Amino acid sequence: MKIVLSFILILSCFFAAAQTKVTLSGYITDAIDGEALTDVKVFIPSLKVGAMSNSYGFYSLTVAPGKYSVEFRSMAYGSEVKEIDLSKSQVFSIELGSKVNNVNEVVVNVKKTENVTSTKMGQIELQMDQIKTLPAFMGEVDVIKAIQLLPGVSSVSEGGQGFYVRGGGPDQNLVLLDEGVVYNAAHLFGFFSVFNADAVKSVNLIKGGMPANFGGRMSSVLEVNMNEGNMKRLKVTGGIGAISSRLTLEGPIKKDKGSFIVSARRTYIDIIMKAAISDTSPFAGSSYFFYDFNAKLNYKLSPKDRIFLSGYYGKDVFNFSDKKGGFGANMPWGNGIAALRWNHLFSDKLFMNLTTTYSDYMFKFGSQQDEFRFELASGIRDVGAKVDFSYFPNPTHRIKWGADYKYHTFTPTSVTAQNDTTVFDTGAAQKLYSHEAAAYILDEFDLNDQLRLNVGLRYSAFAHVGPFTRYIKGDGISTQDTTIQYQKGDLIKFYHGLEPRVSMRWLLPDNSSIKAGYAYNYQYVHLTSLSAVSLPTDIWFPTTDIAKPEKGWQGSVGYFRNFFNDKFESSVEVYYKEMKNLIEFKEGALPGDNVNDNTDNILVFGEGRAFGIEFFLKKSVGRFTGWIGYTWAKTERRFPDINEGNIYPAKYDRRHDLSLVGTYKLNDRWTFSASFIYATGNTLTLPSSWYVQEQNLLFNYGPRNSTRMAPYHRLDLSATLYSKAYKTKTDPATGKEIDVKKKYRSNWSFSVYNVYNRMNPFFLYVDNDGDFLSGNFKLTVKQVSLFPIIPSATWNFEF
Amino acid sequence: MEFRILTKLFISSMLLLGFTSCTKEVQIDIPGYMDQLVIDGSIETGQPAIVLLSKSNNVYSPTNFQAYLDGFVSGATVTISNGVQTDTLTEICSDNLPPGTEEIAAAFFGLPVDVLVNLHLCAYISFGMIGEVGKTYTLRVIHNGSEYTAATNISSPTPLDSLYWKPEGSYTDRGFSWVKLSDPSQSGDSYAWQVKLAGMPNFKRTFNPFFNDKFFNGQTFDFAYENPMSFDDPNGDPAYRGYYKLGDTVIIKLSKIGKSEYNFFEKKYNQMYSGGNPFATPTNVPTNIKGGALGIWVGYSPWFDTLVCQ
Repeated sequence: MKIVLSFILILSCFFAAAQTKVTLSGYITDAIDGEALTDVKVFIPSLKVGAMSNSYGFYSLTVAPGKYSVEFRSMAYGSEVKEIDLSKSQVFSIELGSKVNNVNEVVVNVKKTENVTSTKMGQIELQMDQIKTLPAFMGEVDVIKAIQLLPGVSSVSEGGQGFYVRGGGPDQNLVLLDEGVVYNAAHLFGFFSVFNADAVKSVNLIKGGMPANFGGRMSSVLEVNMNEGNMKRLKVTGGIGAISSRLTLEGPIKKDKGSFIVSARRTYIDIIMKAAISDTSPFAGSSYFFYDFNAKLNYKLSPKDRIFLSGYYGKDVFNFSDKKGGFGANMPWGNGIAALRWNHLFSDKLFMNLTTTYSDYMFKFGSQQDEFRFELASGIRDVGAKVDFSYFPNPTHRIKWGADYKYHTFTPTSVTAQNDTTVFDTGAAQKLYSHEAAAYILDEFDLNDQLRLNVGLRYSAFAHVGPFTRYIKGDGISTQDTTIQYQKGDLIKFYHGLEPRVSMRWLLPDNSSIKAGYAYNYQYVHLTSLSAVSLPTDIWFPTTDIAKPEKGWQGSVGYFRNFFNDKFESSVEVYYKEMKNLIEFKEGALPGDNVNDNTDNILVFGEGRAFGIEFFLKKSVGRFTGWIGYTWAKTERRFPDINEGNIYPAKYDRRHDLSLVGTYKLNDRWTFSASFIYATGNTLTLPSSWYVQEQNLLFNYGPRNSTRMAPYHRLDLSATLYSKAYKTKTDPATGKEIDVKKKYRSNWSFSVYNVYNRMNPFFLYVDNDGDFLSGNFKLTVKQVSLFPIIPSATWNFEF
Repeated sequence: MEFRILTKLFISSMLLLGFTSCTKEVQIDIPGYMDQLVIDGSIETGQPAIVLLSKSNNVYSPTNFQAYLDGFVSGATVTISNGVQTDTLTEICSDNLPPGTEEIAAAFFGLPVDVLVNLHLCAYISFGMIGEVGKTYTLRVIHNGSEYTAATNISSPTPLDSLYWKPEGSYTDRGFSWVKLSDPSQSGDSYAWQVKLAGMPNFKRTFNPFFNDKFFNGQTFDFAYENPMSFDDPNGDPAYRGYYKLGDTVIIKLSKIGKSEYNFFEKKYNQMYSGGNPFATPTNVPTNIKGGALGIWVGYSPWFDTLVCQ
């Protein structure tokens, strides 16, 4: 309560102070395509005050009345200075010119001094221009693989899409596509992300110090924003790659008022497979492909109102056929996401965004072996709404507040099985329903020239409601199995809690600062996995009366410094994180154990902690750009029912993680990139002994995650050859030769994955071969590696 | 079964994608080895208890035939009790078998008779007690000063309603054998399925021989089972593997077992089929033996029936 009162007090002071000021506000957009520009600095040098544009391009700056030179500064778009008479408040929207990186520079980060001056810790925004020049696995530009190169972020496994942030599990990352939740961000069992790079505008990762406007996950937020579509002209972009092709169409609905973008991608692995498997093969009919489709519309209804409609639909389809064995299987899975947003300006200082979202993830598996038919389905579906208000009372003060609501429908497992005419009793399809809601307020303000605080408070609540059948298992002797039936709307369990978030920045001399942050988080949805790697079969499961909400806190301290006129940014961050009510399946749990039972009856609960130190050095401007990231970390788990209650390392516990990324722009036509990663090997559990029972060889496993695989390291290279961007024409007016930008442009992107052909471990297993009697019985530990050196080429075009 | 199918699909698709994926032998530290006694004991209706004792081995220990032989344990004190009487099991060794038991012993150890009789492999047998329906048997093993105990029950068998054979697909003389089973109404019934052809000395397990009534509690239903013996003949036509042929006489043994014993076998077969791959949780096979040993002490309550394939 005291915290809330303090908030009100602080707010009232600033509201009072704002009375005699005027406000400059407006939208900042790209002059070429009309896209909203995020994080452009609006700066008044004479007052040394400024503001940043938000993710919708809106800015607001409140100052004393007067005439000012106002600088709109973006390293990607250059700088423009406007003389503005601010004797009264006014709206000033501006289009910034063509990107400066069409010339001989690559720009990684437009927020130059933000590294030092903002309160943001553990936040990194990657530009798509940069991502597109990085080496791409099989030619597929991939935003998630790019963020895996950042310190504190680990990949799940070779080529894997899942990512771990500062010791948290893959379900502890909130992945948002235009504010819609993405529950499975991977195609092809994790080797490719669901994000089509042509449709993506920006990627922002928050791995620590999560601000109060985000919640529901414990580790990180990955915000992926889709392009809005060209406001000026019709544009076609596409690419033909080794395994897939892409096509994007965008253009104005009405010039400078509204635009659309549609983007589609499909793999042709199935066509390659069809060619490789003859019609007479017993495996004829086996195939795999994925596709995805992005679409977005936006329209400015008035100077104060704009709407956005975003949609994503993607699916993987895997068919397997073994005609000889009489076996066939079909396995589709995918996401569907929709978001409708409304931006409204209540005043030049008060911005609102209202979002309604729909997210759906489903996995299905159907098989038939002779007369036995089996079908399994699981999934999660959300409908929700969210409102966010941003208030800019003065340049040193930014306030946000809002609320969020989701209605979840979970289908952990739905199974049907039939043998000939006999239908097996697999119980009714289990569905779980829940409400999740939150409200927050955060206030970022400067207490003096050195100290900036970002103080936030989030209140979250979760209700598990009926209909629901609770299975209670008896021991079969003194107690029998029984059930409790809850009716629709019955409240089964309610949880709630406060999530304080604080971060601060203290400016130091020499373009440096110290920052600290603390965040407390609740997480009400959980991903449960029976396997050691992330699979589409992993089950999303809600908090229930048995499965309590995950909760935890993270504290971090960092030193940030820029060098050489902000050409180099650096940081050192130390973090410590504690997590409670983590979820795992019971030891020995099998798929199907939750049939005719509740999934949470076969779960166990424990705690974890993670700590580490991250070093980051980045060069953002010049022909050569890139970064070095190094992390030393430790991640542990303790579950009373796993590993005999002893602490064990998490499966993604990695002591060392190093990434080197470099891009060199030789000239207008050639850009070269390289990335190198080194990581301590993942942990896993292998058999430490063997024994024989009824002539069968059985294994006894060692302590959980006690074996460590060999270190992972890999070098990737890429080269991109751009067609000439300009053509020479004679100006009929002057008779002089001038450079005119070409409408049609293309590039070839060549990548080599795993240049020195390192056989990195994907998994290890103990193999047994031969038999005792013949004397050739042999046990060996074997390492499976997936990807050797893989060259690829992709042709991209736009006009 | 479904998970094994999924696992195979995942692995095949992974390897398909990484079409040049490679496997190599590595030496890596695997902590956690403990020298443990392994108890493999059973008792069934009308039969004496048979207990085999052996040792677990480090995963990097020698795996030659001598190491296998050296793993068997003799000299232990083994008793069973039915709550009223106690019998001390007799240690019988393969180089001193009672006449007429050679083939049974050979099947038990999985070795040819001529090899077995020249080895010194010992089992413990309860000549003073045989299994009876409705009784609980407590096993006690004392070895090197440590004591291990376990209990198992022999419950009433579940009879089969009927048996029949029908040709499969386009075949006229090959097919699976079918049974109709009525599962009792109480939940938790667990079964072991074994078959042999007339004239064979020992029963053989099908590929997935253990199942319980989780999906068919109280139901009457038909199911098919394959011919596991057909896979033993290296010269047999692969197209006929798994089928019974017209005219075969099949003897079926459907044994009822307890819940914890079923848990052991379910996890055992799961480990055998899916263990080691990255898509399975590393699972130790749970034992019902107290005192730190591995293995199982299981009571079987068999129901026998005979089918002539016609």
